[in-house]
Amino acid sequence: MLILKNLFRRKIRTTLSVLGVAIGIAAIIAFNAVAGGFKDGLNAYASQTGAHLMVLARDVPASEYSRVSAEELRAISTMPGVHQGAGTAFYVARASGLPALFLFGRDPNELPIRRYRNSDLQGRLLETDGEIMLGYVAAEKMKKKLGEDVELFDGRKFRLVGVYTVGIPWENVGAVVTVRVIQEKLRMGDAVQLGMVYLKDPRERDAVKARIERTYPNLIAVPSEEFAGNFENLQYIDWFVWVVSLIAVIVGGLGVLNTMLMTVSERTREIGTLRAVGWSCLRVMGLILSEGVLISVIGGATGLLVGWGGAEILIRWAPRGFLRTTYSPQMFLEAMAIALALGIVGALYPSYRASRLSPIEALKYE
Amino acid sequence: MSEFALRAVEVIKEYEGGSVRALAGVSVDVRRGEHLCIMGPSGSGKSSLLYLLGALDRPTSGEVWINGRNLGQERNLNAVRAKEVGFVFQLHNLLPVLTATENVEIPMMALGIPRVERRRRAREFLERMGLAHRLDSIATKLSGGERQRVSIARALANGPSVILADEPTGDVDSKTGDQIMECIESARASAGATLVVVTHNPALAKGADRCLMMRDGRLHPA
Repeated sequence: MLILKNLFRRKIRTTLSVLGVAIGIAAIIAFNAVAGGFKDGLNAYASQTGAHLMVLARDVPASEYSRVSAEELRAISTMPGVHQGAGTAFYVARASGLPALFLFGRDPNELPIRRYRNSDLQGRLLETDGEIMLGYVAAEKMKKKLGEDVELFDGRKFRLVGVYTVGIPWENVGAVVTVRVIQEKLRMGDAVQLGMVYLKDPRERDAVKARIERTYPNLIAVPSEEFAGNFENLQYIDWFVWVVSLIAVIVGGLGVLNTMLMTVSERTREIGTLRAVGWSCLRVMGLILSEGVLISVIGGATGLLVGWGGAEILIRWAPRGFLRTTYSPQMFLEAMAIALALGIVGALYPSYRASRLSPIEALKYE
Repeated sequence: MSEFALRAVEVIKEYEGGSVRALAGVSVDVRRGEHLCIMGPSGSGKSSLLYLLGALDRPTSGEVWINGRNLGQERNLNAVRAKEVGFVFQLHNLLPVLTATENVEIPMMALGIPRVERRRRAREFLERMGLAHRLDSIATKLSGGERQRVSIARALANGPSVILADEPTGDVDSKTGDQIMECIESARASAGATLVVVTHNPALAKGADRCLMMRDGRLHPA
Protein backbone atom coordinates (compact mmCIF):
# COMPACT_ATOMS: atom_id res chain seq x y z
CA MET A 1 0.00 0.00 0.00
CA LEU A 2 2.54 2.52 1.26
CA ILE A 3 5.23 1.37 -1.17
CA LEU A 4 3.04 1.83 -4.24
CA LYS A 5 1.61 5.14 -3.08
CA ASN A 6 5.06 6.51 -2.35
CA LEU A 7 6.24 5.61 -5.83
CA PHE A 8 3.20 7.18 -7.45
CA ARG A 9 3.56 10.47 -5.60
CA ARG A 10 6.42 11.47 -7.92
CA LYS A 11 5.22 9.93 -11.13
CA ILE A 12 7.73 11.54 -13.49
CA ARG A 13 10.73 10.75 -11.32
CA THR A 14 9.60 7.18 -10.78
CA THR A 15 8.94 6.77 -14.50
CA LEU A 16 12.41 8.06 -15.35
CA SER A 17 14.01 5.68 -12.84
CA VAL A 18 11.99 2.79 -14.24
CA LEU A 19 13.09 3.79 -17.74
CA GLY A 20 16.74 3.93 -16.64
CA VAL A 21 16.54 0.33 -15.44
CA ALA A 22 14.46 -0.67 -18.45
CA ILE A 23 17.05 0.64 -20.91
CA GLY A 24 19.82 -1.32 -19.18
CA ILE A 25 17.81 -4.52 -19.19
CA ALA A 26 16.61 -3.91 -22.75
CA ALA A 27 20.24 -3.54 -23.86
CA ILE A 28 21.11 -6.86 -22.24
CA ILE A 29 18.20 -8.64 -23.92
CA ALA A 30 18.60 -7.05 -27.35
CA PHE A 31 22.38 -7.46 -27.61
CA ASN A 32 22.32 -11.01 -26.28
CA ALA A 33 19.44 -11.97 -28.55
CA VAL A 34 21.24 -10.70 -31.66
CA ALA A 35 24.67 -12.07 -30.64
CA GLY A 36 23.09 -15.39 -29.66
CA GLY A 37 21.20 -15.45 -32.94
CA PHE A 38 24.43 -14.92 -34.85
CA LYS A 39 26.15 -17.79 -33.04
CA ASP A 40 23.15 -20.07 -33.37
CA GLY A 41 23.03 -19.24 -37.07
CA LEU A 42 26.66 -20.26 -37.42
CA ASN A 43 26.08 -23.50 -35.54
CA ALA A 44 22.95 -24.21 -37.54
CA TYR A 45 24.87 -23.54 -40.74
CA ALA A 46 27.53 -26.05 -39.70
CA SER A 47 24.91 -28.61 -38.68
CA GLN A 48 22.86 -28.22 -41.85
CA THR A 49 25.83 -29.05 -44.05
CA GLY A 50 25.26 -32.59 -42.79
CA ALA A 51 28.94 -32.88 -41.79
CA HIS A 52 29.66 -34.47 -38.43
CA LEU A 53 32.93 -32.67 -37.73
CA MET A 54 34.40 -29.35 -38.79
CA VAL A 55 38.17 -29.32 -39.13
CA LEU A 56 40.09 -26.05 -38.94
CA ALA A 57 43.49 -24.71 -37.93
CA ARG A 58 44.06 -24.60 -34.19
CA ASP A 59 44.25 -21.23 -32.42
CA VAL A 60 42.84 -19.04 -35.17
CA PRO A 61 40.59 -16.14 -34.15
CA ALA A 62 38.20 -16.71 -37.05
CA SER A 63 37.58 -19.23 -39.80
CA GLU A 64 38.92 -16.92 -42.56
CA TYR A 65 42.40 -17.29 -41.07
CA SER A 66 42.22 -21.07 -40.97
CA ARG A 67 44.08 -23.22 -43.48
CA VAL A 68 43.69 -26.96 -44.00
CA SER A 69 45.89 -28.29 -46.79
CA ALA A 70 44.59 -30.56 -49.53
CA GLU A 71 47.06 -33.21 -48.39
CA GLU A 72 45.71 -33.12 -44.83
CA LEU A 73 42.15 -33.29 -46.10
CA ARG A 74 42.94 -36.23 -48.36
CA ALA A 75 44.58 -38.06 -45.47
CA ILE A 76 41.57 -37.38 -43.22
CA SER A 77 39.29 -38.78 -45.93
CA THR A 78 41.15 -42.09 -45.81
CA MET A 79 41.01 -42.40 -42.01
CA PRO A 80 38.94 -45.31 -40.61
CA GLY A 81 35.32 -44.36 -40.07
CA VAL A 82 35.44 -41.34 -42.41
CA HIS A 83 33.10 -41.33 -45.40
CA GLN A 84 34.38 -38.10 -46.93
CA GLY A 85 36.46 -35.06 -46.04
CA ALA A 86 35.22 -32.11 -48.05
CA GLY A 87 36.90 -28.72 -48.32
CA THR A 88 35.24 -25.36 -48.23
CA ALA A 89 36.35 -21.73 -48.38
CA PHE A 90 34.74 -18.33 -47.75
CA TYR A 91 35.08 -14.87 -49.14
CA VAL A 92 33.10 -11.67 -48.73
CA ALA A 93 32.67 -9.90 -52.04
CA ARG A 94 31.16 -6.60 -53.04
CA ALA A 95 27.92 -6.76 -54.95
CA SER A 96 25.41 -4.23 -56.24
CA GLY A 97 22.22 -4.07 -54.16
CA LEU A 98 23.81 -5.67 -51.09
CA PRO A 99 26.14 -4.39 -48.36
CA ALA A 100 28.20 -7.57 -48.85
CA LEU A 101 27.88 -10.91 -50.56
CA PHE A 102 28.98 -14.02 -48.65
CA LEU A 103 30.69 -16.39 -51.08
CA PHE A 104 30.88 -20.07 -50.15
CA GLY A 105 33.38 -22.18 -52.07
CA ARG A 106 32.23 -25.76 -52.67
CA ASP A 107 33.62 -28.62 -54.73
CA PRO A 108 30.92 -29.71 -57.21
CA ASN A 109 31.88 -33.35 -56.63
CA GLU A 110 31.70 -33.34 -52.82
CA LEU A 111 28.84 -33.82 -50.37
CA PRO A 112 28.33 -30.24 -48.99
CA ILE A 113 26.91 -28.93 -52.25
CA ARG A 114 24.12 -31.54 -52.23
CA ARG A 115 22.17 -29.77 -49.52
CA TYR A 116 21.23 -27.06 -52.04
CA ARG A 117 19.64 -29.69 -54.26
CA ASN A 118 17.48 -30.79 -51.36
CA SER A 119 16.03 -27.31 -50.97
CA ASP A 120 13.83 -25.20 -53.20
CA LEU A 121 16.50 -25.01 -55.88
CA GLN A 122 15.64 -23.17 -59.06
CA GLY A 123 17.95 -24.17 -61.92
CA ARG A 124 20.73 -26.61 -61.10
CA LEU A 125 23.85 -27.08 -58.98
CA LEU A 126 27.03 -25.48 -60.24
CA GLU A 127 29.48 -27.68 -62.15
CA THR A 128 32.35 -25.47 -63.34
CA ASP A 129 34.47 -22.54 -62.13
CA GLY A 130 32.59 -20.10 -64.38
CA GLU A 131 29.24 -20.71 -62.69
CA ILE A 132 27.52 -19.36 -59.59
CA MET A 133 24.48 -20.14 -57.45
CA LEU A 134 22.78 -17.30 -55.55
CA GLY A 135 20.65 -17.40 -52.41
CA TYR A 136 17.13 -16.20 -53.22
CA VAL A 137 17.51 -12.96 -51.22
CA ALA A 138 20.81 -12.16 -52.95
CA ALA A 139 19.22 -12.87 -56.35
CA GLU A 140 16.31 -10.53 -55.54
CA LYS A 141 18.55 -7.74 -54.27
CA MET A 142 20.98 -8.04 -57.17
CA LYS A 143 18.04 -8.38 -59.60
CA LYS A 144 19.58 -11.43 -61.26
CA LYS A 145 17.76 -14.19 -63.13
CA LEU A 146 18.92 -17.64 -64.14
CA GLY A 147 21.23 -17.55 -67.12
CA GLU A 148 22.42 -13.98 -66.50
CA ASP A 149 26.00 -13.09 -65.65
CA VAL A 150 27.02 -12.00 -62.17
CA GLU A 151 30.12 -9.83 -61.99
CA LEU A 152 32.06 -10.29 -58.74
CA PHE A 153 35.70 -9.33 -58.34
CA ASP A 154 38.42 -8.36 -60.80
CA GLY A 155 35.73 -7.95 -63.45
CA ARG A 156 35.23 -11.69 -63.45
CA LYS A 157 31.82 -12.88 -64.60
CA PHE A 158 29.95 -15.98 -63.49
CA ARG A 159 26.91 -17.51 -65.11
CA LEU A 160 23.94 -17.81 -62.69
CA VAL A 161 22.87 -21.48 -62.88
CA GLY A 162 20.92 -21.90 -59.64
CA VAL A 163 18.93 -19.94 -57.03
CA TYR A 164 18.63 -21.69 -53.68
CA THR A 165 16.62 -21.29 -50.50
CA VAL A 166 17.97 -22.76 -47.27
CA GLY A 167 16.99 -22.52 -43.61
CA ILE A 168 19.84 -20.22 -42.60
CA PRO A 169 18.75 -16.61 -43.33
CA TRP A 170 22.21 -15.18 -43.92
CA GLU A 171 23.12 -18.00 -46.30
CA ASN A 172 20.24 -16.89 -48.48
CA VAL A 173 22.01 -13.53 -48.80
CA GLY A 174 25.09 -15.42 -50.08
CA ALA A 175 26.33 -17.25 -53.14
CA VAL A 176 28.11 -20.48 -53.97
CA VAL A 177 31.05 -20.75 -56.36
CA THR A 178 33.61 -23.50 -56.74
CA VAL A 179 36.20 -23.70 -54.02
CA ARG A 180 38.91 -23.13 -56.64
CA VAL A 181 37.58 -19.63 -57.39
CA ILE A 182 38.12 -18.57 -53.77
CA GLN A 183 41.47 -20.35 -53.53
CA GLU A 184 42.66 -18.31 -56.51
CA LYS A 185 41.24 -15.07 -55.17
CA LEU A 186 42.84 -15.54 -51.75
CA ARG A 187 46.00 -17.14 -53.15
CA MET A 188 45.55 -20.10 -50.85
CA GLY A 189 47.03 -22.67 -53.18
CA ASP A 190 45.15 -25.93 -52.75
CA ALA A 191 44.32 -25.30 -49.09
CA VAL A 192 40.82 -24.70 -47.79
CA GLN A 193 39.67 -22.80 -44.72
CA LEU A 194 37.47 -25.52 -43.37
CA GLY A 195 37.28 -29.25 -43.70
CA MET A 196 33.84 -30.89 -43.41
CA VAL A 197 34.10 -34.47 -42.28
CA TYR A 198 31.28 -36.91 -43.05
CA LEU A 199 31.36 -40.12 -41.04
CA LYS A 200 30.18 -43.60 -41.95
CA ASP A 201 28.78 -43.95 -38.43
CA PRO A 202 28.07 -40.80 -36.35
CA ARG A 203 28.73 -42.78 -33.17
CA GLU A 204 32.40 -42.83 -34.10
CA ARG A 205 32.63 -39.05 -33.95
CA ASP A 206 34.71 -38.83 -30.79
CA ALA A 207 37.15 -41.48 -31.98
CA VAL A 208 37.63 -39.79 -35.36
CA LYS A 209 37.99 -36.38 -33.71
CA ALA A 210 40.72 -37.74 -31.45
CA ARG A 211 42.44 -39.41 -34.39
CA ILE A 212 42.49 -36.21 -36.46
CA GLU A 213 43.82 -34.08 -33.62
CA ARG A 214 46.43 -36.68 -32.71
CA THR A 215 47.66 -37.00 -36.30
CA TYR A 216 47.55 -33.25 -36.99
CA PRO A 217 48.27 -31.26 -33.82
CA ASN A 218 47.92 -28.06 -35.86
CA LEU A 219 44.24 -28.86 -36.51
CA ILE A 220 41.15 -29.17 -34.36
CA ALA A 221 38.03 -31.14 -35.14
CA VAL A 222 34.84 -29.80 -33.57
CA PRO A 223 31.31 -31.20 -33.63
CA SER A 224 29.27 -29.17 -36.12
CA GLU A 225 26.74 -27.96 -33.56
CA GLU A 226 29.57 -26.47 -31.44
CA PHE A 227 31.25 -24.76 -34.36
CA ALA A 228 30.69 -21.14 -33.23
CA GLY A 229 32.22 -21.72 -29.84
CA ASN A 230 35.68 -22.05 -31.35
CA PHE A 231 36.19 -18.51 -32.52
CA GLU A 232 37.85 -15.90 -30.35
CA ASN A 233 36.25 -13.04 -32.23
CA LEU A 234 32.82 -14.36 -31.33
CA GLN A 235 33.92 -14.31 -27.70
CA TYR A 236 34.86 -10.65 -28.23
CA ILE A 237 31.28 -10.08 -29.36
CA ASP A 238 30.17 -11.60 -26.06
CA TRP A 239 32.51 -9.26 -24.21
CA PHE A 240 31.29 -6.28 -26.15
CA VAL A 241 27.70 -7.23 -25.41
CA TRP A 242 28.37 -7.55 -21.70
CA VAL A 243 30.45 -4.37 -21.45
CA VAL A 244 27.79 -2.29 -23.20
CA SER A 245 25.09 -3.93 -21.09
CA LEU A 246 27.08 -3.36 -17.92
CA ILE A 247 27.41 0.36 -18.66
CA ALA A 248 23.68 0.59 -19.32
CA VAL A 249 22.97 -1.30 -16.11
CA ILE A 250 25.27 0.95 -14.03
CA VAL A 251 23.46 4.01 -15.39
CA GLY A 252 20.15 2.39 -14.40
CA GLY A 253 21.50 1.59 -10.94
CA LEU A 254 22.66 5.18 -10.43
CA GLY A 255 19.16 6.28 -11.40
CA VAL A 256 17.65 4.10 -8.67
CA LEU A 257 20.24 5.33 -6.16
CA ASN A 258 19.54 8.96 -7.00
CA THR A 259 15.78 8.51 -6.82
CA MET A 260 15.89 6.73 -3.51
CA LEU A 261 18.30 9.26 -1.98
CA MET A 262 15.97 12.07 -3.03
CA THR A 263 12.97 10.25 -1.69
CA VAL A 264 14.63 9.72 1.70
CA SER A 265 15.61 13.38 1.83
CA GLU A 266 12.10 14.55 0.94
CA ARG A 267 10.40 12.20 3.37
CA THR A 268 12.67 12.74 6.36
CA ARG A 269 9.80 14.05 8.49
CA GLU A 270 7.56 11.14 7.50
CA ILE A 271 10.31 8.71 8.41
CA GLY A 272 10.51 10.43 11.80
CA THR A 273 6.76 9.95 12.21
CA LEU A 274 7.01 6.26 11.34
CA ARG A 275 9.76 5.85 13.91
CA ALA A 276 7.70 7.80 16.49
CA VAL A 277 4.72 5.46 16.11
CA GLY A 278 6.90 2.42 16.72
CA TRP A 279 8.36 1.41 13.36
CA SER A 280 11.79 -0.19 13.81
CA CYS A 281 14.92 0.79 11.85
CA LEU A 282 14.61 -2.49 9.98
CA ARG A 283 11.02 -1.86 8.97
CA VAL A 284 11.89 1.63 7.69
CA MET A 285 14.84 0.13 5.81
CA GLY A 286 12.55 -2.52 4.35
CA LEU A 287 10.11 0.14 3.15
CA ILE A 288 12.75 2.12 1.23
CA LEU A 289 14.42 -1.05 -0.05
CA SER A 290 11.09 -2.37 -1.29
CA GLU A 291 10.44 0.84 -3.18
CA GLY A 292 13.83 0.54 -4.92
CA VAL A 293 13.25 -3.12 -5.71
CA LEU A 294 9.78 -2.38 -7.08
CA ILE A 295 11.23 0.30 -9.38
CA SER A 296 13.80 -2.17 -10.67
CA VAL A 297 11.32 -5.02 -11.07
CA ILE A 298 8.93 -2.83 -13.08
CA GLY A 299 11.95 -1.49 -14.99
CA GLY A 300 13.22 -5.03 -15.53
CA ALA A 301 9.89 -6.28 -16.85
CA THR A 302 9.60 -3.23 -19.12
CA GLY A 303 13.20 -3.82 -20.24
CA LEU A 304 12.43 -7.41 -21.22
CA LEU A 305 9.59 -6.24 -23.45
CA VAL A 306 11.52 -3.27 -24.88
CA GLY A 307 14.63 -5.43 -25.43
CA TRP A 308 12.63 -8.10 -27.19
CA GLY A 309 10.77 -5.53 -29.29
CA GLY A 310 13.96 -3.59 -30.00
CA ALA A 311 15.84 -6.68 -31.15
CA GLU A 312 12.98 -7.69 -33.44
CA ILE A 313 12.82 -4.19 -34.93
CA LEU A 314 16.62 -4.20 -35.33
CA ILE A 315 16.66 -7.41 -37.33
CA ARG A 316 13.83 -6.17 -39.54
CA TRP A 317 15.59 -2.88 -40.07
CA ALA A 318 18.86 -4.62 -40.93
CA PRO A 319 19.23 -5.97 -44.49
CA ARG A 320 17.08 -9.05 -44.79
CA GLY A 321 18.74 -12.24 -43.64
CA PHE A 322 21.84 -10.66 -42.10
CA LEU A 323 20.68 -10.94 -38.50
CA ARG A 324 18.52 -13.25 -36.48
CA THR A 325 17.65 -13.42 -32.80
CA THR A 326 17.72 -16.18 -30.23
CA TYR A 327 16.01 -16.02 -26.84
CA SER A 328 16.19 -18.39 -23.94
CA PRO A 329 14.39 -18.51 -20.60
CA GLN A 330 17.83 -18.29 -18.97
CA MET A 331 18.50 -14.97 -20.73
CA PHE A 332 15.26 -13.49 -19.37
CA LEU A 333 15.85 -14.90 -15.90
CA GLU A 334 19.40 -13.51 -15.80
CA ALA A 335 18.18 -10.10 -16.93
CA MET A 336 15.50 -10.06 -14.24
CA ALA A 337 18.04 -11.16 -11.64
CA ILE A 338 20.27 -8.25 -12.72
CA ALA A 339 17.31 -5.86 -12.45
CA LEU A 340 16.56 -7.15 -8.97
CA ALA A 341 20.19 -6.79 -7.92
CA LEU A 342 20.15 -3.23 -9.31
CA GLY A 343 17.18 -2.34 -7.16
CA ILE A 344 18.73 -3.82 -4.04
CA VAL A 345 22.16 -2.24 -4.59
CA GLY A 346 20.68 1.12 -5.63
CA ALA A 347 18.32 1.31 -2.65
CA LEU A 348 20.60 -0.23 -0.03
CA TYR A 349 22.48 2.92 0.94
CA PRO A 350 19.40 5.22 0.91
CA SER A 351 17.47 2.70 3.01
CA TYR A 352 20.37 2.43 5.44
CA ARG A 353 20.44 6.23 5.71
CA ALA A 354 16.71 6.32 6.34
CA SER A 355 17.00 3.70 9.05
CA ARG A 356 19.77 5.63 10.81
CA LEU A 357 17.83 8.89 10.98
CA SER A 358 17.27 10.07 14.52
CA PRO A 359 13.47 10.17 15.04
CA ILE A 360 13.74 13.52 16.80
CA GLU A 361 15.94 15.13 14.17
CA ALA A 362 13.63 13.71 11.50
CA LEU A 363 10.53 15.12 13.23
CA LYS A 364 12.15 18.55 13.45
CA TYR A 365 13.23 18.43 9.78
CA GLU A 366 11.81 21.33 7.77
CA MET B 1 2.16 -2.29 39.39
CA SER B 2 3.53 1.24 39.76
CA GLU B 3 1.02 3.98 40.58
CA PHE B 4 2.86 6.21 38.13
CA ALA B 5 2.43 5.94 34.41
CA LEU B 6 5.45 8.16 33.81
CA ARG B 7 8.46 9.06 35.92
CA ALA B 8 11.45 11.24 35.15
CA VAL B 9 14.23 11.24 37.73
CA GLU B 10 16.92 13.93 37.59
CA VAL B 11 16.86 13.88 33.80
CA ILE B 12 19.51 15.85 31.99
CA LYS B 13 19.49 16.12 28.22
CA GLU B 14 22.35 17.73 26.33
CA TYR B 15 22.87 18.19 22.62
CA GLU B 16 25.87 18.95 20.42
CA GLY B 17 28.37 17.30 22.70
CA GLY B 18 27.14 19.08 25.81
CA SER B 19 27.22 22.64 24.45
CA VAL B 20 23.40 22.83 24.51
CA ARG B 21 21.60 21.74 27.70
CA ALA B 22 17.87 21.30 27.03
CA LEU B 23 16.96 19.72 30.36
CA ALA B 24 18.89 20.53 33.52
CA GLY B 25 17.82 17.85 36.01
CA VAL B 26 14.07 17.38 35.58
CA SER B 27 12.10 15.15 37.94
CA VAL B 28 8.40 14.56 37.53
CA ASP B 29 5.90 11.80 38.39
CA VAL B 30 2.67 11.43 36.40
CA ARG B 31 -0.04 9.27 37.97
CA ARG B 32 -2.03 6.76 35.91
CA GLY B 33 -4.97 8.48 34.22
CA GLU B 34 -3.69 11.96 35.10
CA HIS B 35 -3.93 14.85 32.66
CA LEU B 36 -0.77 16.90 33.03
CA CYS B 37 -0.13 20.13 31.21
CA ILE B 38 3.42 21.42 30.85
CA MET B 39 3.62 25.02 29.75
CA GLY B 40 6.55 27.15 28.84
CA PRO B 41 8.00 29.37 26.16
CA SER B 42 9.55 28.06 22.97
CA GLY B 43 12.99 26.55 23.56
CA SER B 44 12.39 25.97 27.26
CA GLY B 45 12.83 22.18 26.90
CA LYS B 46 9.14 21.06 26.86
CA SER B 47 9.42 19.04 23.66
CA SER B 48 12.73 17.51 24.73
CA LEU B 49 11.08 16.23 27.91
CA LEU B 50 8.08 14.95 25.94
CA TYR B 51 10.33 13.02 23.54
CA LEU B 52 12.20 11.45 26.46
CA LEU B 53 8.92 10.50 28.19
CA GLY B 54 7.77 9.00 24.86
CA ALA B 55 10.86 6.80 24.45
CA LEU B 56 11.87 8.66 21.32
CA ASP B 57 15.24 9.52 22.81
CA ARG B 58 17.49 8.56 25.71
CA PRO B 59 18.58 11.06 28.39
CA THR B 60 22.20 12.13 28.83
CA SER B 61 21.76 11.19 32.47
CA GLY B 62 18.90 10.38 34.82
CA GLU B 63 16.12 7.87 34.43
CA VAL B 64 12.81 7.70 32.59
CA TRP B 65 10.18 5.13 33.53
CA ILE B 66 7.01 4.13 31.71
CA ASN B 67 4.53 1.97 33.64
CA GLY B 68 7.25 0.78 35.98
CA ARG B 69 9.74 -0.01 33.18
CA ASN B 70 13.06 1.79 33.25
CA LEU B 71 13.67 2.86 29.64
CA GLY B 72 17.42 2.89 30.27
CA GLN B 73 17.24 -0.87 30.53
CA GLU B 74 14.95 -1.36 27.55
CA ARG B 75 16.80 -2.51 24.44
CA ASN B 76 13.85 -2.12 22.09
CA LEU B 77 12.35 1.36 22.45
CA ASN B 78 10.41 0.85 19.19
CA ALA B 79 8.24 -1.77 20.87
CA VAL B 80 7.72 0.51 23.88
CA ARG B 81 6.60 3.34 21.62
CA ALA B 82 4.35 1.09 19.56
CA LYS B 83 2.59 -0.47 22.57
CA GLU B 84 2.65 2.16 25.31
CA VAL B 85 2.77 5.60 23.70
CA GLY B 86 0.54 7.59 21.37
CA PHE B 87 1.92 10.85 19.97
CA VAL B 88 -0.10 13.85 18.79
CA PHE B 89 2.10 16.38 17.00
CA GLN B 90 1.54 20.06 16.37
CA LEU B 91 1.72 19.57 12.61
CA HIS B 92 -0.18 16.24 12.84
CA ASN B 93 2.53 14.62 10.66
CA LEU B 94 0.15 12.55 8.57
CA LEU B 95 1.58 10.68 5.60
CA PRO B 96 0.22 12.79 2.72
CA VAL B 97 -0.20 9.97 0.20
CA LEU B 98 -2.35 7.86 2.49
CA THR B 99 -6.04 8.08 3.31
CA ALA B 100 -7.28 8.89 6.81
CA THR B 101 -7.89 5.18 7.47
CA GLU B 102 -4.47 4.16 6.19
CA ASN B 103 -2.76 6.76 8.36
CA VAL B 104 -4.44 5.34 11.44
CA GLU B 105 -3.32 1.85 10.40
CA ILE B 106 0.38 2.82 10.36
CA PRO B 107 1.12 2.26 14.10
CA MET B 108 -0.76 -1.05 13.99
CA MET B 109 1.62 -2.25 11.27
CA ALA B 110 4.45 -1.93 13.79
CA LEU B 111 2.71 -4.52 15.96
CA GLY B 112 2.01 -6.84 13.04
CA ILE B 113 -1.77 -6.59 13.33
CA PRO B 114 -3.47 -8.26 10.32
CA ARG B 115 -4.77 -5.95 7.63
CA VAL B 116 -8.49 -6.67 8.09
CA GLU B 117 -8.26 -6.06 11.81
CA ARG B 118 -6.23 -2.89 11.26
CA ARG B 119 -8.82 -1.54 8.88
CA ARG B 120 -11.69 -2.33 11.22
CA ARG B 121 -10.03 -0.68 14.18
CA ALA B 122 -8.89 2.37 12.20
CA ARG B 123 -12.43 2.99 10.93
CA GLU B 124 -13.82 2.58 14.44
CA PHE B 125 -11.41 5.19 15.86
CA LEU B 126 -12.09 7.61 13.02
CA GLU B 127 -15.84 7.24 13.44
CA ARG B 128 -15.39 7.99 17.15
CA MET B 129 -13.55 11.17 16.11
CA GLY B 130 -16.53 12.19 13.95
CA LEU B 131 -14.74 11.42 10.71
CA ALA B 132 -17.01 8.67 9.36
CA HIS B 133 -17.49 10.71 6.18
CA ARG B 134 -13.71 11.12 5.66
CA LEU B 135 -12.48 7.55 6.01
CA ASP B 136 -11.16 7.29 2.47
CA SER B 137 -10.08 10.89 2.01
CA ILE B 138 -6.42 11.49 1.23
CA ALA B 139 -4.70 13.32 4.09
CA THR B 140 -3.94 16.39 1.99
CA LYS B 141 -7.64 16.85 1.23
CA LEU B 142 -8.57 17.17 4.90
CA SER B 143 -8.94 20.44 6.82
CA GLY B 144 -6.48 21.30 9.62
CA GLY B 145 -8.93 20.22 12.31
CA GLU B 146 -9.75 16.97 10.52
CA ARG B 147 -6.08 16.17 10.12
CA GLN B 148 -5.47 16.65 13.81
CA ARG B 149 -8.41 14.39 14.65
CA VAL B 150 -6.94 11.74 12.36
CA SER B 151 -3.64 12.09 14.19
CA ILE B 152 -5.49 11.64 17.52
CA ALA B 153 -7.08 8.48 16.14
CA ARG B 154 -3.62 7.36 15.06
CA ALA B 155 -2.26 8.02 18.56
CA LEU B 156 -5.02 5.83 20.02
CA ALA B 157 -4.68 3.07 17.43
CA ASN B 158 -2.66 0.62 19.54
CA GLY B 159 -4.51 1.38 22.80
CA PRO B 160 -1.59 3.19 24.47
CA SER B 161 -1.47 3.79 28.20
CA VAL B 162 0.17 7.18 27.63
CA ILE B 163 -0.83 9.93 25.19
CA LEU B 164 1.73 12.67 24.59
CA ALA B 165 0.63 15.80 22.77
CA ASP B 166 3.07 18.41 21.54
CA GLU B 167 1.28 21.73 20.90
CA PRO B 168 -1.76 19.84 19.58
CA THR B 169 -3.73 23.00 18.78
CA GLY B 170 -0.83 25.06 17.53
CA ASP B 171 -1.78 24.75 13.88
CA VAL B 172 -5.52 25.53 14.08
CA ASP B 173 -7.80 28.40 15.10
CA SER B 174 -9.00 28.67 18.71
CA LYS B 175 -12.49 27.22 18.06
CA THR B 176 -11.03 24.18 16.29
CA GLY B 177 -8.38 24.02 19.02
CA ASP B 178 -11.09 23.70 21.67
CA GLN B 179 -12.75 20.90 19.71
CA ILE B 180 -9.42 19.08 19.36
CA MET B 181 -8.72 19.33 23.08
CA GLU B 182 -12.22 17.99 23.79
CA CYS B 183 -11.46 15.09 21.44
CA ILE B 184 -8.14 14.32 23.13
CA GLU B 185 -9.61 14.62 26.61
CA SER B 186 -12.59 12.40 25.85
CA ALA B 187 -10.33 9.84 24.15
CA ARG B 188 -8.09 9.84 27.21
CA ALA B 189 -11.03 9.43 29.52
CA SER B 190 -12.59 6.57 27.55
CA ALA B 191 -9.24 4.78 27.20
CA GLY B 192 -8.26 5.47 30.79
CA ALA B 193 -4.91 6.69 29.48
CA THR B 194 -2.48 9.18 30.97
CA LEU B 195 -2.21 12.44 29.04
CA VAL B 196 0.69 14.88 28.94
CA VAL B 197 0.23 18.01 26.89
CA VAL B 198 3.07 20.46 26.30
CA THR B 199 2.12 23.91 25.09
CA HIS B 200 2.82 27.59 25.38
CA ASN B 201 -0.91 28.28 25.22
CA PRO B 202 -2.37 28.85 28.77
CA ALA B 203 -5.87 28.05 27.46
CA LEU B 204 -4.93 24.39 27.16
CA ALA B 205 -4.27 24.17 30.88
CA LYS B 206 -8.01 24.59 31.64
CA GLY B 207 -9.02 20.97 31.73
CA ALA B 208 -5.74 19.61 33.13
CA ASP B 209 -5.51 17.90 36.54
CA ARG B 210 -2.16 19.56 37.12
CA CYS B 211 -0.08 22.18 35.42
CA LEU B 212 3.69 22.67 35.51
CA MET B 213 5.88 25.37 34.05
CA MET B 214 9.09 24.61 32.18
CA ARG B 215 11.70 27.31 32.30
CA ASP B 216 15.38 27.00 31.28
CA GLY B 217 15.28 23.24 31.33
CA ARG B 218 13.68 22.93 34.77
CA LEU B 219 10.13 22.27 35.91
CA HIS B 220 8.36 24.60 38.35
CA PRO B 221 4.84 24.62 39.76
CA ALA B 222 2.60 26.81 37.59
